[in-house]
Amino acid sequence: MAKPVVIVVGADKGGVGKTTVSRTLLDYFSANNVPTRAFDTESPRGTLMRFHPDITEIVDMTTTSDQMKIFDTLNAASPSVTVIDVRAGLLSPALASLRDIGFLDAAKAGQITFAVFHILGPSIASLDEIAETANFMQGAKYFLVKNFINDTQFFQWDQATYNSYFHRIKDATELTIPKLNEMAYEQVEVSSVPFLKFVANKGKDDEAANYSFVLRGYVRHWLANVWSEFDRIKLTDLVGAKPGVRGGEK
Amino acid sequence: MSLTPVYIICSPRPLVGKTLLARLLSEFLLLKNGTVSSFDINLKEPSLLEYLPRITETADVIDTFGKMQLMDRLIVNDGVAKVLDLGFHAFDEFFKMTNEIGFLKEATRRSVAPIILFVADTDRVSARAYPTLREQIPLKALITVDNEYVVRGELPEAMGLGRVLRITALPSFLKTYVDRQTFSFTDYLRNERDQSTELHQWVRKNYTSFRELEFSLLPQRS
Repeated sequence: MAKPVVIVVGADKGGVGKTTVSRTLLDYFSANNVPTRAFDTESPRGTLMRFHPDITEIVDMTTTSDQMKIFDTLNAASPSVTVIDVRAGLLSPALASLRDIGFLDAAKAGQITFAVFHILGPSIASLDEIAETANFMQGAKYFLVKNFINDTQFFQWDQATYNSYFHRIKDATELTIPKLNEMAYEQVEVSSVPFLKFVANKGKDDEAANYSFVLRGYVRHWLANVWSEFDRIKLTDLVGAKPGVRGGEK
Repeated sequence: MSLTPVYIICSPRPLVGKTLLARLLSEFLLLKNGTVSSFDINLKEPSLLEYLPRITETADVIDTFGKMQLMDRLIVNDGVAKVLDLGFHAFDEFFKMTNEIGFLKEATRRSVAPIILFVADTDRVSARAYPTLREQIPLKALITVDNEYVVRGELPEAMGLGRVLRITALPSFLKTYVDRQTFSFTDYLRNERDQSTELHQWVRKNYTSFRELEFSLLPQRS
C-alpha cells in the first residue's frame, strides 16, 4: 500500500493566495492521474470546495472530530494524497495540533510523507512566520511559496534578512507562482471551475462552455508555468507517482 | 475541411506600407469572396478604417478586454477571411500575446489559417523583430513583403529565406493618387477601360500575387 501523503497549504496571513495554490495542486495531481482528496478548513463556507466539490470536504481543524476525519482516515482512504487548505491564521495552530497528535513524529519516522506549502506575503511579518513554522518542520518537506498571482512585489524584504530566515530551515525549497492576468483570474473565479476545466472550455459538469479563447490561453500559459515549478521540485516523486504525459498539456 | 485565412499585416516600423497592403488585400478578398472582415489596429498611422469603413472595424491590444474582443473573433472558422492591419506600436504586444495564449496552435485545431505578412525594412528594429517572429511562426505561414518603395534594393538575407511577396513601387504621382481616401483599387479595375495603364497593371499584378499566395497556402473550397 502506498505511503499516505499529506500536503498542507497555509499561511498565517490572509489574502496571499493559499486557495489558489491549493487549486493548482489539485489540478496538477488530476492531470498526473494522482488520486487526491482535499480538505477546506474555511468552515463553514469553503472557497476550495466551490472549485473542487467532488473531492473536497469542509472541516473545522480546531475540532477533534474533524481532526479525526482527516488523520484517522489517512491509511484507509483510497486516494493516498491529501491536500489541506488551511485557512488564514491557522497554520501555526494546525501544525501544533499535528505535533500534539503525534503526526509530526510519524512523518519524521517516515511512515507518512508530509509537505507544507507555506505561502508568503509581501510583508516582513511573513519572515517571522517562517521562523515560527520552522520549529515544526523536522521530517517534513518545506516549500516556501512566493505567490505573485495577486501582484505581490515582496518589496518589504531585504534579501539578506530573507536569506537569514530561509536558511534556518534545512532543505527548505523556494517556489514561485507567477502572476495570472487579472481578467483571466476573475473569469475563472466567476465560472467556479478548476483551472483545468477552464482551459478545456468546460463547465462544472463537463458541459461545453464558452469562455474567451484569450483568457483560456492566459490561464493555460500560467498553469504550465506553475506546473513547471511543481515539476522542478519533483512533486510527483514526492507523492510516489510516475511523471508522464499530462492530460492538461495535450 | 476548408480553412478560414487570417492575414496579419505587420511591421515594427511605421510608414512601410502596411495599410496600403491591407487595403489591397481587403479589396481583393472582397472582390473574390464577396465578404471580408478587416481590423484596424492603428492609432498613430494612416488608418484602414478611413479607407474601407464599411468592412473595417477598429480593435486594440492595449488591454485584456481589447485582446478578447479581437482574438475571439479571429479564432472562429466562419469562412470569412480576416485582414489585420497591425500598427507598429502594437507589434510587440500582439505577438507576445499570441505566443502566450497559443494562438497558432489553437488556430490549427480550429481550421483557421493565420498568414503573417511581415513588411520588411532594412533597419535594426525590423532585423530584430523578424527572428522573433520566426521563433513562433512556421516559415510556411510567415511571408516577407518586399515593398520596393521601402526596401529599395536587396532584402536583408535572413528575411528572404521563406516566401517573399513583392510589391513594386508606384511612381510618386500614382502613389498620391491611390492614397486618396476615396480611391478604390477594385473600382479602378472596373472603371478604367485602358488596361495598359501602369496602375491597372500594378493592381492586377498584386491581385494575382494574392491569389497565388492563397492557392499555395490554403486548400481551396469546393
